[in-house]
Amino acid sequence: MKLMYDLPEKDRAAYDAAASPDEILMYCVPFNVLDEKFVKGWTAVTDRKIYCILDGAVLSSYELERCTVFSTEVLYGNCAFYGVVDGVTTLICQFLSGRNLPRYSVLVQACEDLAKKRREGLEPGAPVENKENEHFCPKCGRPFIPGTTICPFCRNSAEVYKKLWGLTRGLRFMLFFPLIVSVVSLAIQFILPAIQRTAVNDYLTNESIRPVGSFLEDEHTRAFLLIFLAIISIDLVQRVLGVIQSRLSAIAGNKFTLMMRTLLYEKISTLSISSISHKSTGDLMGRITGDVNAVQAFMTGQLPSLFTQGASFILALIFLLIINPIMSMFVFIPIPFVVWLVRRFWSTMQNRNRKDWVLGYHVRLFLQDILNGIRVVKSFGNEEREIATFHRRTDRHAAQTESNALLFDTFFPLLGFVTRIGSYLILFYGNYLLFKGTMNYGDLHQFNSYANIIYGPLLWITGIPRQISAFLTSLGKVLEILEEQPEVADINLPIDIDIEGDVTFDHVTFGYDSYNPVLEDINLTVKKGEMIGVVGHSGSGKTTLINLLMRLYDVTDGAIMIDDVNIKDISQNALRSQIGVVLQETHLFSGSIRDNIKYAKPHASDEEVIEAAKLANAHDFIVNLPDGYNTMIGEKGYSLSGGERQRVAIARALIHNPKILILDEATAALDTETEKLIQDAINKLAKDRTAFCIAHRLSTLRNANRLIVLDKGHLVEFGTHQELLDKKGFYWRLVMAQRQDSGMLDKADKLLKAKQATA
Amino acid sequence: MKKENTPKAEKKKNGSSAAEKKNESAEAKKTEAAEAKAADAEEDGEVNADDLFKHRVSINMTPENSWFSASEGGLISLKIINAEGEEESFERVVIRRSFPVTSPDEFLSVREPDTRAKGRGSEIGMIRNINIFDKKTVDLINAELEIRYFTPIIHRITSAKEKFGYNYWEAETSAGKVSIVLNNPFSNIRVLEDGRIYIFDMDGNCFLIPDPTKLDRLTYRTIEIYL
Repeated sequence: MKLMYDLPEKDRAAYDAAASPDEILMYCVPFNVLDEKFVKGWTAVTDRKIYCILDGAVLSSYELERCTVFSTEVLYGNCAFYGVVDGVTTLICQFLSGRNLPRYSVLVQACEDLAKKRREGLEPGAPVENKENEHFCPKCGRPFIPGTTICPFCRNSAEVYKKLWGLTRGLRFMLFFPLIVSVVSLAIQFILPAIQRTAVNDYLTNESIRPVGSFLEDEHTRAFLLIFLAIISIDLVQRVLGVIQSRLSAIAGNKFTLMMRTLLYEKISTLSISSISHKSTGDLMGRITGDVNAVQAFMTGQLPSLFTQGASFILALIFLLIINPIMSMFVFIPIPFVVWLVRRFWSTMQNRNRKDWVLGYHVRLFLQDILNGIRVVKSFGNEEREIATFHRRTDRHAAQTESNALLFDTFFPLLGFVTRIGSYLILFYGNYLLFKGTMNYGDLHQFNSYANIIYGPLLWITGIPRQISAFLTSLGKVLEILEEQPEVADINLPIDIDIEGDVTFDHVTFGYDSYNPVLEDINLTVKKGEMIGVVGHSGSGKTTLINLLMRLYDVTDGAIMIDDVNIKDISQNALRSQIGVVLQETHLFSGSIRDNIKYAKPHASDEEVIEAAKLANAHDFIVNLPDGYNTMIGEKGYSLSGGERQRVAIARALIHNPKILILDEATAALDTETEKLIQDAINKLAKDRTAFCIAHRLSTLRNANRLIVLDKGHLVEFGTHQELLDKKGFYWRLVMAQRQDSGMLDKADKLLKAKQATA
Repeated sequence: MKKENTPKAEKKKNGSSAAEKKNESAEAKKTEAAEAKAADAEEDGEVNADDLFKHRVSINMTPENSWFSASEGGLISLKIINAEGEEESFERVVIRRSFPVTSPDEFLSVREPDTRAKGRGSEIGMIRNINIFDKKTVDLINAELEIRYFTPIIHRITSAKEKFGYNYWEAETSAGKVSIVLNNPFSNIRVLEDGRIYIFDMDGNCFLIPDPTKLDRLTYRTIEIYL
């Protein structure tokens, strides 16, 4: 991330005039908003002052030694940078969040640091560097495609094509042979009108030639027969070529799609969680199916068409000019008008169809929303209102569809008439020439055939830039994933260790964005076999701590050690296969319970499955199902209750006998009875394993050996239940808060009883 | 502590008729809650757990109990008489609209600023309607709100391109000329029921079109398909 911009000349001059010569410019970043206007200003931070510079003038300056706390605040549509100057909070400047929030977040820290050093009379040191990626193209200032550093404008499209060429390896012949075939087929198509002309001129309209002898002896008849056969065989050859081309295209296209899809899926599977979590499931699915299809359709459909249409346009043009240059003018004169009209029509239609699509989308969205929440609708008795809303939306959609259809059905036939204007002109002028005798009928026929050809490609080609752009976007999206580097990668020679279960966090700092740490300087050591509870308010970094332990993300600073080995040195496979995880939101795949439990260990025996299920207190309910362990679950199968799902998930986490067990709010959504069952299960299995257990309900953690208490990313307390209670600190407060809650329950109970007594 | 309360409550209820039941139980609830609270306080003795979770009581701000003034740093300072009747002053307060879209002048939440050290600031009070204050205060608050809710009005879109799935617009706004890049127009252009259009771009900007029917043709055509 750039923290030192070059000041434009006049702003530089203003800075030079204001700053003393021995001041060191440390940071210079833009600010964007002032007095409700967009501006191009600069915030310059030196070792002793902050300057706000705009249009060659220093607007304000603040001495760092008088400043203490700096902060940023996200406002609506922009952000503010504040500093406390002489104890008074002061607005230093306003900037745009998308572009500069990360920059100013770094600046906040940097300025506080500089101010402190200045007050203590220390050297300012070197400016902080930040390796975070920019989100905006340095060349044109437009945003990158989110999650990448690709600027769609500055990206070299030659490079994209080159990469595509690389992807087609092994399929090139199949992809490009159809192109050749279609060009050949096209050339033959152009012979046809020439032969027809010969037939018309030399035989049909030639009065001097009339069959004299018997049918086969007469040379004219034979020639005529030959022409007849030629016409048929040309047609036949063309069709055969067409079949060959289509078959090859179909095979090549299919293979290409298959290859791209497999590559993409493999890549997405190997990408780290951090890269995947930036993209939605829908987006990824879209890329695997939609975008790949779009690329394939272009490669096997539009690209060959581009060739043939282009070639036929040029050929037709040449032939027309050869036959009759004057008459060809009649073809060209209406072209600009026709092309304009047709494009206009289609762009209107496209806009309207899009609107239609959007309205339809709203209807679908509404349906999805309401049908999913139909219980809520009914329980509030709002059926009538929702019916009215639905009516309003479908009516709008229907009206748009109708209006679109009417417009299309009226103008599309008329459009056909317009595109034939050239032909009418030719007909008129050609007939005139025929009457005059300067042209014969065969030539006219040939000319007309070519003239009819020329409009097709012309109209088609006008639409091609849009198609190419759509194709490039899809291709770009596909390539982007293929080129993405997993952020969490194994080192060159990762170690496969057998984990014992000792875990150490050594000065661990981590933030999903480096300027915004979620965990700061976490130090703790857990011995093997301990059950550790992790508590704290939501957003305090509990789940992040666990994610780091599983190495879904790499720590920003510090190290996590398992059995004194840095987890970065352990192969991800070895690491994760020895950690069992149960999350609050359990995902079970469609399939049988047996398959789901075996998911973590595909070759597990049935004994092992039962063993794991028993440990998880799941065996009894599973055996009581009609299909036992073979019960199908998921969309089309038996629906398990929350507690049942959770227990299956625990069995799944246990089957490969993990040395480290992680339970992230595993029991939060369950009733106390089920929780008890699962608690028992957990206690059973936590015996010789290191277990980390996140829970909101503190009662869940009563068996924990020690508790980690997190607050705003800091480890505030770490010790046994009793130690922490004696401390009367953060944990004690949490316990008190929950006890109050249960107090409320008592009161509610009493009220209820009182009510019953009166009834 | 709770057990003592129950008999009292029951005694009351026993005497009530069926029609009064509803009222009675609500009343009982109130008394009980109050008594329970008092009992709680007594029982805990040295450290009252209640105090740990005590929050500032938000006041209804009127010219009689709140005095706003410009701070030296160009922000807003405040002096109030708080819920306990004590005078309290704040070097800087933050004002947020509860309904920035539908009622920008009503229900203004006056808060302590969020800080890294203390986390989220709590609400000092709420201004039911800004117009109950004198003009000077209104101007002061509005100036602060203008900064906080920076929403330039789009007068005209001079060029609109759609490329690579993004929309690139050049527009003239009340805050000057600006390039707008939208990445998902269908979710980032929001139309309100009264016809106003909010547009959120990739920079984190927010733009407003107060009345789309008054736009010129090109501008209208550009946004029309998303409406």
